[in-house]
Amino acid sequence: MSGAKWLPTLILITAFQVISVGQIAFTDSGINMRIISVFGAYIAIEWIYTITSSIIRKKASPALEFIAFFLTGIGLLIVASVNEKLLVTQFIAFTLGFFCFMFLLWLISDMDRAMFMRTPMAIAAVGLLIITLIFAKNIHGAYNWIGIGSFSFQPSELVKIAFIFVGAAALDKLQSTRSLTKYIIFAVVCIALLFLMRDLGTALIFFFTFLILAFMRSGDIRTLILVCVAAAMGAALIVLVKSDYVIRRFSIYRHIWENMDGSGYQQTRVLIYSVSGGLFGVGIGNGKLKDIFAATEDLVFGVLCEEWGIIMGILVILCFALIATHSIKCAVGCRYAFYTIASVAAGGLLLFQASLNVFGVTDLLPLTGVTLPFISRGGSSAISCWALLAFIKAADNRTWLGSRYNAEVVE
Amino acid sequence: MNKISKRSKILYLLVFAFIFGVCFLCITLISNAETWALKRANQHIYDKGQLISAGTIYDRNGVVLAETVDGERIFNENKTIRCATLHCVGDLSGFIATGAHTAFKSQLTGYSLINGVYNIERDGEDKDLHLTIDASLCADAYNALGKNNGTIGVYNYETGEILCMVSKPTFDINNKPKDIDTDDTGKYDGIYINRFLSGVFTPGSTFKVVTAACAIENIPDIDSRTFTCTGSYKTSTGVVKCNGVHGTLTFETALNHSCNSAFAQIADELGNEKLTATAEELGFNKRIQVDGINVAKSYFDLTGAVSVDRGWAGIGQYTTLANPCHMVTLMGAIASNGTTPSPHILENSSSFFSIGSSTIRYMDLTTATKLSDMLRSNVENYYGDKKFPNLEMCGKTGTAEVSEKEPHTWFVGFSRRTDTPFAIVVVLENSGGTGIGNAVPVANKVMQSAITLS
Repeated sequence: MSGAKWLPTLILITAFQVISVGQIAFTDSGINMRIISVFGAYIAIEWIYTITSSIIRKKASPALEFIAFFLTGIGLLIVASVNEKLLVTQFIAFTLGFFCFMFLLWLISDMDRAMFMRTPMAIAAVGLLIITLIFAKNIHGAYNWIGIGSFSFQPSELVKIAFIFVGAAALDKLQSTRSLTKYIIFAVVCIALLFLMRDLGTALIFFFTFLILAFMRSGDIRTLILVCVAAAMGAALIVLVKSDYVIRRFSIYRHIWENMDGSGYQQTRVLIYSVSGGLFGVGIGNGKLKDIFAATEDLVFGVLCEEWGIIMGILVILCFALIATHSIKCAVGCRYAFYTIASVAAGGLLLFQASLNVFGVTDLLPLTGVTLPFISRGGSSAISCWALLAFIKAADNRTWLGSRYNAEVVE
Repeated sequence: MNKISKRSKILYLLVFAFIFGVCFLCITLISNAETWALKRANQHIYDKGQLISAGTIYDRNGVVLAETVDGERIFNENKTIRCATLHCVGDLSGFIATGAHTAFKSQLTGYSLINGVYNIERDGEDKDLHLTIDASLCADAYNALGKNNGTIGVYNYETGEILCMVSKPTFDINNKPKDIDTDDTGKYDGIYINRFLSGVFTPGSTFKVVTAACAIENIPDIDSRTFTCTGSYKTSTGVVKCNGVHGTLTFETALNHSCNSAFAQIADELGNEKLTATAEELGFNKRIQVDGINVAKSYFDLTGAVSVDRGWAGIGQYTTLANPCHMVTLMGAIASNGTTPSPHILENSSSFFSIGSSTIRYMDLTTATKLSDMLRSNVENYYGDKKFPNLEMCGKTGTAEVSEKEPHTWFVGFSRRTDTPFAIVVVLENSGGTGIGNAVPVANKVMQSAITLS
């Protein structure tokens, strides 16, 4: 019955993807079967998931997943057109993220289970960050990658999930001062470790998420403590910013054209090629920005504008506003404060990260080197983005209507 | 819990901030689109800093001045034409700022905000530029300049088309001198500057046209006056020297003989305010544009000038500077009742760049008619129609003294024949000699060429 609602949207998304894939896969030199099979699998996942979930969770709305499918699809299409060899890896990362999404949704569907998981999660997160700090490879100025054989990943992305999870759990219901203190310590340790890795962008995202969590808890005497900690962190930020690497990044802010071929290289190229595409783009694969370092990662917004057009670029980034708005809507009237808090934190985190990326590469904000959620290439990023969606999805009461958790909703 | 739910609305702040940011981003992108897209770093348009994909540039007769063949920019095969049209066509690296390759880059490349660079690699008429200049007339003008540096401009005062625009020193774009940027002997000074559009020169006696206009408007009995030239004009603050001893002159013969004594006296009588007012009416200190290209302003300033300064200013010396393009439009206005069409070099310019008014009004009909007759009298009664056969030429010469160098020689004028509505400016930079001796023959050569070509 509810099928009629989602079907047209999914058909549109699929049609969009099929047409785009057609443009990439059918070239003069033949048909690229790898691209076709990956997208075949991707579209299959979209349909199987949507149909299955409409059967199992009859009242659930797949709107949120649709946005994520749309964005992830664009990310995969860009990888396919720029560096087709990495497509399979990226697709596998998405699959992993997608399973994380479903797993996390299952995990937090039972609040007792969620509460039980909070300490192990916190320990795992801090542990992971410490391990990163010890074994990290220095990639482009930051020490935030761990390599195992030929496989490397960015633990700070995964810690985002734990950060919100632990934060929302610690602030749910009436917690003892002790547990709250523990959380503050946890947050400070996480952010401090990120600073030590020189991963300023992610540290900022964590700090912002921390502020949201703190606000959600405000009205309480403990807020004061949170705010104080926030201020202290702000001060620490200023002190820590005085590292050469960060100063270099900030000194170029709003001065990119004066140093077009030096430290302003990436941003100026993003702007030059973004406007080169005009409103409708030069066509997938016809861009020039793709030849520039980090085109499919940090600079992906520029590739989007150049090849798909400014209109498409703007529409895509507005999707993040949509996700955030959705997270607020879902946050009202949840069964548990945990859901409310986690949903707002996740929605805020994604939008904040998108802002840092888009406004950073276009020089409206300082460049912090964070990725564009769902779209930028990167396995860890894909996994964490999808997992974060679980928090928003869980807050949506329709997700649970008609399921065995329904009883609690009524109660 | 309800309280916490309400608090979630705080995130709307971020959403609004984000949407504000997106709007700001759109505005930034749209307002800077052209500037950014046409940056030299854009590899859609440039390869190794050189413009690669652009439309063809034609002259008024369809002669190809520059075109792209197999991704390479090819210029006209004739060396003289290349040298003569260099400043008009421009170079590929943007040194010549007013050249078509730079000034009309967006039209040439086909860049537009809506389609971006999508049209760049596609051929199409709409990317081509049709200039109003006549390549062979430019070549003739270039040859007429001979060894001199300077500029020649020919302008049709009925249509506003610039038919000829030549500036020297110049170079052959296919064979750019290696020492052009390192030379310090001065032989390439200002080689990238189009003197017609961007140059300013001391106008010398050509400025007497302005002084005369001021006299016509402000001294009712100017025609019945007589002036006595004893070889100089004495003021309370100094002496203005004349180029001869002219004896008794009328207003008209004073202009014929280009008598400094008479014009210094007229200027002195008119005073700073009236002279400045007329000079500004006639386009000094004002900006004109040629298809969106800013033309250098002619300069006239009598602030704090005493009588001897005023005297010198009245004969085109002092601090006065004139731009050749401005002077030729001034001639056009005198030829056509005081109002002349805005100069342009793009054939289809009206549809593209005409943001400002399409005509320039310098003076009223009475002044224009009077000046036209006086300039006709110069040729008829003084230079001699033999010097400008078949042209019904009107004009004024100038010999502009400049410090420490030979004087510039000028000719500004126009043909009164209705079938050859051309105005001309010739400036020979530091040529020495006189306007009559040097600039007039050059002007005639170019005008003869112009009337045969039309």
